[in-house]
Amino acid sequence: MTRSSRLTHARQFGTVLGLVVLSSVLWALTPHFFTVPNLLNVAQQTSINAIVAVGMTFVIISGGIDLSVGSIVALSGVALGAALQGGQALPVALAIALGIGVICGLVNGAIISWGGLPPFIVTLGMMSIVRGAALVFTEGRPVSGFDPLFRSLAAGHLGGVPAPVIATMAVYLVAHVVLTRTTFGRYVYAIGGNEEATRLAGVSVRFHKTMIYAVSGLVSAMAAVILTARLNSAQPIAGTMYELDAIAATVIGGTSLMGGQGSLAGTLVGALIMGVLRNGLNLLGVSSFLQQIVIGAVIIGAVLIDTVLKRHRN
Amino acid sequence: MRKLTVVFVAALAASVLSCNRAAPETTDKPKVALVLKTLNHPFFVDMRRGAQEAADRLGVQLEVQAAEREIDVEKQMQIVENMIQTGIKALVITPSGSREIVSALVKARDANVPIIIVDTRVDEKAAAEAGVHTETFVGSDNYEGGKLAGAHVVNVTGGKARVGILEGIPGHETGDSRLRGFRDAVKDAPGITVVASQPANWERDQGFNVFQNMLQAHPDIDTVFAASDLMALGAIEAIAAAGKTGRIKVVGFDALDDAKKAIAAGTMDASVAQFPSEMGKAAIESVVKAIRGEKLPASIMVKLEMVTKESLVRR
Repeated sequence: MTRSSRLTHARQFGTVLGLVVLSSVLWALTPHFFTVPNLLNVAQQTSINAIVAVGMTFVIISGGIDLSVGSIVALSGVALGAALQGGQALPVALAIALGIGVICGLVNGAIISWGGLPPFIVTLGMMSIVRGAALVFTEGRPVSGFDPLFRSLAAGHLGGVPAPVIATMAVYLVAHVVLTRTTFGRYVYAIGGNEEATRLAGVSVRFHKTMIYAVSGLVSAMAAVILTARLNSAQPIAGTMYELDAIAATVIGGTSLMGGQGSLAGTLVGALIMGVLRNGLNLLGVSSFLQQIVIGAVIIGAVLIDTVLKRHRN
Repeated sequence: MRKLTVVFVAALAASVLSCNRAAPETTDKPKVALVLKTLNHPFFVDMRRGAQEAADRLGVQLEVQAAEREIDVEKQMQIVENMIQTGIKALVITPSGSREIVSALVKARDANVPIIIVDTRVDEKAAAEAGVHTETFVGSDNYEGGKLAGAHVVNVTGGKARVGILEGIPGHETGDSRLRGFRDAVKDAPGITVVASQPANWERDQGFNVFQNMLQAHPDIDTVFAASDLMALGAIEAIAAAGKTGRIKVVGFDALDDAKKAIAAGTMDASVAQFPSEMGKAAIESVVKAIRGEKLPASIMVKLEMVTKESLVRR
């Protein structure tokens, strides 16, 4: 085991321990937390952020950032809604939604790679452009009222497990394999670790970077499908600040903002910590203002652990 | 490292514990959830106060929750799901989205939790399709309020005005009804033209920006109708920045304290007063009746009032 992978493992252990302790505390504090319906609620409530965070993890490991994910959720969602209302078959509507997500991601990646601009600037601009496009397209109004087949994507169950949770598990499984078992996955780490060296090794950094942002766009569109089915409505203002939740889940999960390090398992646990916290604070009747303080503290605390850990190892 | 994690989580646990002390879990009082659109708007803060007073008086344990952002109906849905788990006896909610919230109400229905809607109506068609039954609606008639504002504009301008409108978030029943009422009231006055109408999403800073731009495009605007006072207050700042204070009449909605001050100072002409604390009170009184199994009227309307400089002096 290399030193950096040992680091990742130790860090993940810390995150998992954090989740376990947090859950135990909530279990002790309220009888409503550790029940099957509530835990399924937590899983379902975490699913959207968890899926968006998959793309964010790819992007952050490669040393970038994607601020446009929330806006992509909105645009893919309203496109999906409009397609369904326009009488398109479900597979066609889904293809349109996912296609829009991928296109947004490709545009992000292409401008970053070939334009040579910082990801922060490009995705900040796209965040505004894509949000604006969603508002223009819908004239600011939500698109709502879909048939039960589509809604079953959020409301359906398989063996008691809600459909969004199954979708989340599937996305994580596939993405984990891509990140750890494919050449593309190795390049994601390599680009984040040392972009110049990767380029000199003969890897087409531009192409792979573009693909990384396309992944982010694709999973954002998947999150949009679940969100739209869950609310039975596609809102052009949906997904506002999702980028921050996704970054938080990724960072709590131990992915370094410096790039080159991180894992999807960590991100999933990070997303779960945020979901459990929000759920638990609701159950305990903690005010929404205090919730924001607690969540902020968790983000800083997690990164603090990360930093102290690194200092110890070096 | 492990030690650090434990210390950190323990600190977190301690902070959660201390928050929890304020809301004891063991009580005979029926637990009722009040889920608001937001808690950082004076309107909902007042509503909460009215509800809390009624809850204390009637022996109801009230749990108040709101999403971090007013537009976040998905978070509101999460709150509803979570509150149902705590065994609430009734749900009082101000929906962040008239249609979207129906999915959350379905979960309340499945858990046999009676639902009382406050301030913003649920889309009737969507509710009927989902088979959601609400006990009652408590609110003011926003359409009538808009009409009141429109009639006031006709009255004070002598039926001749060029009006700019600041809308709320598009698709919100509250704002849409206010605008419809306003337009219906000024429709019959041929001298009144609506020259521009744009959303400022209920917010003060957006009210400022949108009206500043509107004024740039239509310098002849002499009257503003804002679907909420926060947007009206933003417009007043924009008017001041343009050096046009006193030359443009501003009519708002909600009669917030800041708006009343502006009306007293003469920078604002009038505002439609709703009584959110009365809404909160009526909602909790309805909850108690619903839990007892009493039948409630389909809607409970709270009064509306036009606040002007004269009406402030009279008081």
